[in-house]
Amino acid sequence: MTLYAWALGLCLAAALVALLPTRAPAVLRPTGAPAAGGAVAERVRAATPTVGAITVVGGAVTAAAGALAAVAGVRAMLGHGWSAWLPDLLPLGGVRLALDPLGGLFTAVTGGVTVCAAIHGIGSGPARATRVVVPLFVAALLLVPAADGVGAFLFGWELMAMTSLLLVLAEHRERPSVRKAALWYAVMTHLGLVTILCGLCYLAAGAVGDGFDQLRVAELSPAARNVIFLTTLAGFAAKAGIVPLHVWLPRAYPAAPGHVSPLMSGAMVNMGVYGVVRVGLDLLRGGPVWWWWIVLALGALSALYGVLHAAMATDLKRLLGYSSTENMGLVLIGVGAAGFFAADGAGPLAALALTAALLHVVNHAAFKTLLFQAAGSVQRATGTRDLDALGGLRTRMPYTTALFAIGALCASALPPGNGFVSEWLLLQSLIHALPASGVAGAVTMPLAVGAIALTAGLAVATFVKAFGVGFLARPRGPGAERAAESPRTAIYGMALAAAACLFLALNPTLVLPALTEAVTEVIPAGRPVTGEVTLRLTTITGSISPILIALALAGAMVAVPALVGAVATRRVRRAARLWDCGAGPVSARMEYTATSFAEPLQRVFVDALQPESAIDVTAVKESAYLVRRVRFRARVPDRVERRLYEPVLAAAVRLGTGARRLADGSVHRYLSYGFYALTGVLIVLAVIS
Amino acid sequence: MTDPLYVQTLDLACGAFLLTGVLVLWRRDLAAIIWLFALQGVALGALIAVRGLHEADVELTVLGLGVGLLRAVLLPYLMRRALAAGEEGREARPHVSVAASLLVTAVLTMIAYAVSQPLVRLAPTPATQAVPIALTVLLVGFFVLVTRRRALSQVVGFLLMDNAITAAAFLTTTGVPLVVELGVSLDVLLAVLALQVLTTRMRAAFGGTDLDELRELHD
Amino acid sequence: MVLQLLVVAAGAPLLVGLMRQIRARLEGRAGAGVRQPWRDLRKLVRKEAIAPHGTGWLFRAAPPLLAGTTLVVAAAVPLVTADSPLDGVADLFAVAALLALGSVALALGGLDTGTAFGGMGASREMTVLALVEPTILLAVFALSIRVGTTDLGAIVIATASSPLSLISPVSLLAAVALAVVTIAESGRIPVDNPSTHLELTMIHEAMILEYAGPDLALIEWASAMRLTVMLGLFAGLFAPFGIATAGAGPIALLVAVVAFAVKVALLGGVLAAGEVFMAKLRLFRIPELLAGSFLMALLAVAASFFLA
Repeated sequence: MTLYAWALGLCLAAALVALLPTRAPAVLRPTGAPAAGGAVAERVRAATPTVGAITVVGGAVTAAAGALAAVAGVRAMLGHGWSAWLPDLLPLGGVRLALDPLGGLFTAVTGGVTVCAAIHGIGSGPARATRVVVPLFVAALLLVPAADGVGAFLFGWELMAMTSLLLVLAEHRERPSVRKAALWYAVMTHLGLVTILCGLCYLAAGAVGDGFDQLRVAELSPAARNVIFLTTLAGFAAKAGIVPLHVWLPRAYPAAPGHVSPLMSGAMVNMGVYGVVRVGLDLLRGGPVWWWWIVLALGALSALYGVLHAAMATDLKRLLGYSSTENMGLVLIGVGAAGFFAADGAGPLAALALTAALLHVVNHAAFKTLLFQAAGSVQRATGTRDLDALGGLRTRMPYTTALFAIGALCASALPPGNGFVSEWLLLQSLIHALPASGVAGAVTMPLAVGAIALTAGLAVATFVKAFGVGFLARPRGPGAERAAESPRTAIYGMALAAAACLFLALNPTLVLPALTEAVTEVIPAGRPVTGEVTLRLTTITGSISPILIALALAGAMVAVPALVGAVATRRVRRAARLWDCGAGPVSARMEYTATSFAEPLQRVFVDALQPESAIDVTAVKESAYLVRRVRFRARVPDRVERRLYEPVLAAAVRLGTGARRLADGSVHRYLSYGFYALTGVLIVLAVIS
Repeated sequence: MTDPLYVQTLDLACGAFLLTGVLVLWRRDLAAIIWLFALQGVALGALIAVRGLHEADVELTVLGLGVGLLRAVLLPYLMRRALAAGEEGREARPHVSVAASLLVTAVLTMIAYAVSQPLVRLAPTPATQAVPIALTVLLVGFFVLVTRRRALSQVVGFLLMDNAITAAAFLTTTGVPLVVELGVSLDVLLAVLALQVLTTRMRAAFGGTDLDELRELHD
Repeated sequence: MVLQLLVVAAGAPLLVGLMRQIRARLEGRAGAGVRQPWRDLRKLVRKEAIAPHGTGWLFRAAPPLLAGTTLVVAAAVPLVTADSPLDGVADLFAVAALLALGSVALALGGLDTGTAFGGMGASREMTVLALVEPTILLAVFALSIRVGTTDLGAIVIATASSPLSLISPVSLLAAVALAVVTIAESGRIPVDNPSTHLELTMIHEAMILEYAGPDLALIEWASAMRLTVMLGLFAGLFAPFGIATAGAGPIALLVAVVAFAVKVALLGGVLAAGEVFMAKLRLFRIPELLAGSFLMALLAVAASFFLA
């Protein structure tokens, strides 16, 4: 409790620190300063800190807050939870806060992400507004999982939405595209808030109070429960970036500043999952099977759709954004399967599926924090996020490259990465569903396994593309050519996240017991996984040992070169030219770009993606047969956006233009509207009574 | 016939029946499709014969052999003649791409399984448990009718549906009376002959057997 | 396990040699002999390694990583004995993922060169890998239903103790699906042609174009081991005869080694003979093949509860 309060307090302190007046760095001091009152001004100036100092202090305080929150969350997961009621803080119900294992898990994840992001942010010299808002955003992120009442939850949620919106908007002066992204984000996130608000208020209306304890025992009709679940699901899915409500995500991430997108992707989208678990499995105590079918289907759809677009994307941050949609889809498959098994009465399987889902939340937060930090560093160093124009960063940014490689390995769910462990658990829970759950399970599970498998395969291709094309080979653009290694704090932030990734990858057995507490809180069915070195499933036969696999791999990696070295007779490597077919040196223009790398996949999935391409041929004036210029353009539009959102937006625009005729600028006309309305209402009232 | 052996051979016949049905969607070569159809006829005949042997029913066994002969030899022979008379032996561009139609088949299988569960539950024997397979082949046959262009593919699709109906009949009951089966088989034969005539006429009129050309008759 | 590793490491080039020899004989050539791949490896190791201009640590780390993953897989799967000390460490999912890791290492090595060839090979390899993955996992699913676990040793022992269960639609469909996957993953015709050097058709060869000397030897050796392990795994899953179980004596182990060699040689011979009569598929026809194998795997899963 005290730790948590300290964390919140430090967030506020960091925001206040950022608000302190600052002086310009000494080198920039205007030389011809007026002499009058110069001495006083000089003393004041010396007392006010520089921007750099403020950034360091603010970042350090935020990081400390994150660390405290992480510890508080872990303590809650280990059973040292607490609850508090502050009746006077908000009108009506007051603020109820409590940290149980489930909330503790999400608090801990948020704390961990905050530490990395805050350290990373110190070196990037963020603008003043960003410095102020980031700690507030973190505070909101900490508030949501700790809320124990509808009022506090909605307050935290809205604070989270507002602060994140401000952060998305932060760089609107530098890049005009940011404004459009922020508009999308604002609309989507607030529509989500409205549905959650409606759902939770409806739920609270059926209970005696707004505390979660009172909501758990509320007596509700099945129809009301259905309405509550579906409305809140829509809101939470929008926050988690689930198809078809994902449209804000690939726009907002590229728009946000470098150290903010890790916070959004590693911590904020998790809150959508938290909401689904909290409301669906905890407050409503599970539900009919079809709820979880919907969740599972949405998850599978998001996973496939997200990874397909990630595989096509050439913008590094957009790629990572779509990858978030994919990973949240995988998590929702796990959550849906858990609810499904729980509704079916298969408790142990449900616990396993939920464990897998929550572990994947943790893993995703770890590797996505790392990847987004690296992407931010790359953008700052090269000025571009376009993979087609990057390349050759291996020699120019060696640390960032190595750390991105770790993140990419984890994200592509290959051993020895952490994503592999959670996907393994998820698959195990799905393939052992058959004998237990009848027809529904028999139809759903194979398709779900197929979807996960295709997602995993495409994720491998995606991250090979992101890493191989973006960081290896030779630079393809001027930005990549003059890139330099990122500041030291940025590397520390990334290294911390990478260490977390590796820890989770090698020692999931140390994390899982704490995670199990969060699971048993919702699905009381014992521990699904045991073991110290080897991960063993308790109810089904299955085991795996990530650390031994990693050790075996490392051993083989040492042994093989040693063996070759022992046999080989010439030790020295000779530098040589690349094979260029005898046609002169290979230039960077001949390299494979991200677009060309993804082209075979684009052709395979042409029905699903419907890419657009156009060729403009400009002929010379004299003859139509002599071509002056050929221009080829290709892009892969978001189909959901095209089919679902654009018609709605177009209709809204039409309505707006149509309504413009109502307002022609004449004051008399406006007054007459009021007059007609008033008399109309009076007449109606007269008729009714 | 002992029980485990019966179950195993029946399952094997059903598996072959399903596999050949699905492979029809995979191959583009019409000659190969006819081959697959013939193999499916063999599987169907074997399926009926196995049931006959298990129930020591001579009539059923003989019927199985007859059905096998009709569908594995006679109908493929007729179709091969139609193919030999034709000029192009490939399903070049189906309305739905091959990969996509294979994925659709995956979904169809799941639907067939889900739909036929009440039927299976009525009398859960090894034979009725294979009803979803018959239903899957029925849906696959329908899908072939919907998406393939060549007239011969249409014939195969139609015959797949008929095979599936026969299989379902023999899996759920101990068999339809001989007269009915004979009548159905004759109907099928007639339908194939009629389609063959249609194919010939189409080729004479349009120079090909692409069914999309029939649209011209609409105007 | 050490015995198994040694058998795989020493036998893999011989298998490749055998397959080349069979192809040569069927095509009416004399062939270079079964031991030619070993002679090639010896020659390559004695040459000097090359660091092409502009390549870095990843380019150099890829061959050992490929060989390393293959060795770990060779130690973990039940080829000669079902009693591996790595049993319980890696199951069928982990084996599939480790093989994928090897492919990824090679693809990154190819991309690191910055040549169009390297990029092309990497791009194609990743496309095939992404499409193969669903089939593998579903086939694993189908095979694990009967036994109730994805543990490889358990599946093999269960199959060996009741060989009649092999003649079921589930096993047959899963076998067809896994056969296609094995061909695709090991880069054989009709998915990839291991002996081509034409840029339009290369997948595997395009990625390793820049490697020479010991690096190339390592890659060739690892590729041969991958093929052996995959064929051995296939044989172990669908014909687990002669595989030694826990506590087997030296004679049982010898029998197991001989049985393994015979099975793998037989499968390799069939594969090589099949390649003589087949042409490579167009790259964009491969998805059809893999979609078909995916369907087979799904039908295998479906059949296991259709007919249960």
